[in-house]
Amino acid sequence: MQYQSQSVAKLYFLAAMGLFAGQILFGIILGLQYVMGDFLFPEIPFNVARMVHTNLLIVWLLFGFMGASYYLVPEESGRELYSPKLAVLMFWVFLVAGALTILGYLFVPYSGLAQMTGNGILPTMGREFLEQPTITKLGIVVVALAFLYNVGMTVLTGRKTVVTIVLMTGLVGLAVFFLFSFYNPDNLVKDKYFWWWVVHLWVEGVWELILASILAFVLIKTTGVDREVIEKWLYIIIAMTLITGIIGTGHHYYWIGTPSYWQWWGSIFSALEPIPFFMLTLFAFNTINKRKREHPNKAAVLWAMGTAVMAFLGAGVWGFLHTLSPVNYYTHGSQITAAHGHMAFYGAYVMVVLTIMSYAIPLMRGQQAKSNRMQVMEMWSFWLMTVSMVFITLFLTGAGILQVYLQRYSDAPQAFMVVQEKISLFYWMREAAGLVFLVGVVLFILSFFLPQEEKNMQAQPA
Amino acid sequence: MTQLHHSAGEQQQRASHAALASLLNLTLLPGFAFIWLLLNLKKCSQDGIDRYHTVLGLKLNLIAAVALLVVTGLMILAGGLGSAWTWVYVITYFTMVHSLFILAAVWALVRAWAGQKLTVR
Repeated sequence: MQYQSQSVAKLYFLAAMGLFAGQILFGIILGLQYVMGDFLFPEIPFNVARMVHTNLLIVWLLFGFMGASYYLVPEESGRELYSPKLAVLMFWVFLVAGALTILGYLFVPYSGLAQMTGNGILPTMGREFLEQPTITKLGIVVVALAFLYNVGMTVLTGRKTVVTIVLMTGLVGLAVFFLFSFYNPDNLVKDKYFWWWVVHLWVEGVWELILASILAFVLIKTTGVDREVIEKWLYIIIAMTLITGIIGTGHHYYWIGTPSYWQWWGSIFSALEPIPFFMLTLFAFNTINKRKREHPNKAAVLWAMGTAVMAFLGAGVWGFLHTLSPVNYYTHGSQITAAHGHMAFYGAYVMVVLTIMSYAIPLMRGQQAKSNRMQVMEMWSFWLMTVSMVFITLFLTGAGILQVYLQRYSDAPQAFMVVQEKISLFYWMREAAGLVFLVGVVLFILSFFLPQEEKNMQAQPA
Repeated sequence: MTQLHHSAGEQQQRASHAALASLLNLTLLPGFAFIWLLLNLKKCSQDGIDRYHTVLGLKLNLIAAVALLVVTGLMILAGGLGSAWTWVYVITYFTMVHSLFILAAVWALVRAWAGQKLTVR
């Protein structure tokens, strides 16, 4: 670690780890509720567990992105963070707001939470992924603005690199597109239309810029490959991301009341969306193959390589699987969507945050890498999480295909719940894979907190 | 000396072309890119990196053809087009295995770019 102020990232990473574990716990509960509908009812109903599972994912990834930014921006800019105190203050604001929101979901009926938090004044609640009370959304805006001010001032007053410029573009985009969560028109078509401006333009737009810049930073540091080479790749990847991803939003506009031209625009541009993920894989493979040194943190390099591969599979291949409008006509909102969602989020965003954590946390402790034993444990966590996520995806894909066939394609379509019963075997297998994933999460966290073997640790050069 | 260096460069370029053809055959240009691979084989040196990657590309694509076309064909023959389970197996299997072949071809491509064999140093 080159600058003292980079250490504020540790707080964010710790919170991210805790919330990640919580997200997976709720995923396990949720998976069980698919096959045992009354499990934990009425304490934690399905809709609440689902809301907590998805909201925790978003919140911990945001903590991860912020932690990554606070770590890499000072190093890239060649100066201390503009205001470490503001970063710490915003951490607590965000953590308390996030915790209160999750507790609200769990202990207050949703309609009561809406009433309690004054949703009537500016109604924004009740939409998937954007369930947060309006006051929480306002808190997110405050935290995001303070965060952008802090990292923005650091970048503006320091050295400008392609990594920080791409990262800042992504972060500004993240904040700007979140503002559409405050637009909640009565017209359901308009509502859905702009809802995707938050959801799609986040995960298939600006978040990809954040992903690419974090990955580029870690690869520059761990491989010793020339910055110029990596920066050229970065430019091409983000160009392709924006060219395909922005109009690719159209793949959400099939049959929701929008003009029919979206069937063509959405199909063509979103069919091109795997390209930036394919290039990300090519970029990571090429950079690691041309590495000029063997970095002692082998786990971080493994995570970086895994990110590129799993993002390509989850976001690229599994996205393409159901993105063309004639296919999506049948598959829309089925378990195929869930399969894609799980692997894409894991491959693209979960893994890149785990990559930067794996790389940065030892450095913040004054080590280049963890002890060999803890690295082996971390690599076990990598394989357990990654392989189980592959199986979760395959089981959900199987469930989705069967669901589509029986419920939507067959000459004698069957009712939703009848079909759910018929695909329950896949849900059980998914649950088993989810438990293995949880073991991976626990090992990942333990690898940071169990005692390190001093003799194997490499001290960070001064 | 200059001639040798030039020759090595040419071999590396042909190796890169072969790896690219292999990747294209698995993705955008199935069949056509395989012909390109076969044509590349004629121009290759006796025992150079270009021949290695051309032969690797041919082998990878032939194995892929069996794994993807023959195996899925057998699945369809066994299960019948009218069975939901046939499509569960075929689509899931085809998507996953096809992706793995593409990833293998991408790795081969970056190794060819660097003038290296597939195996890690």
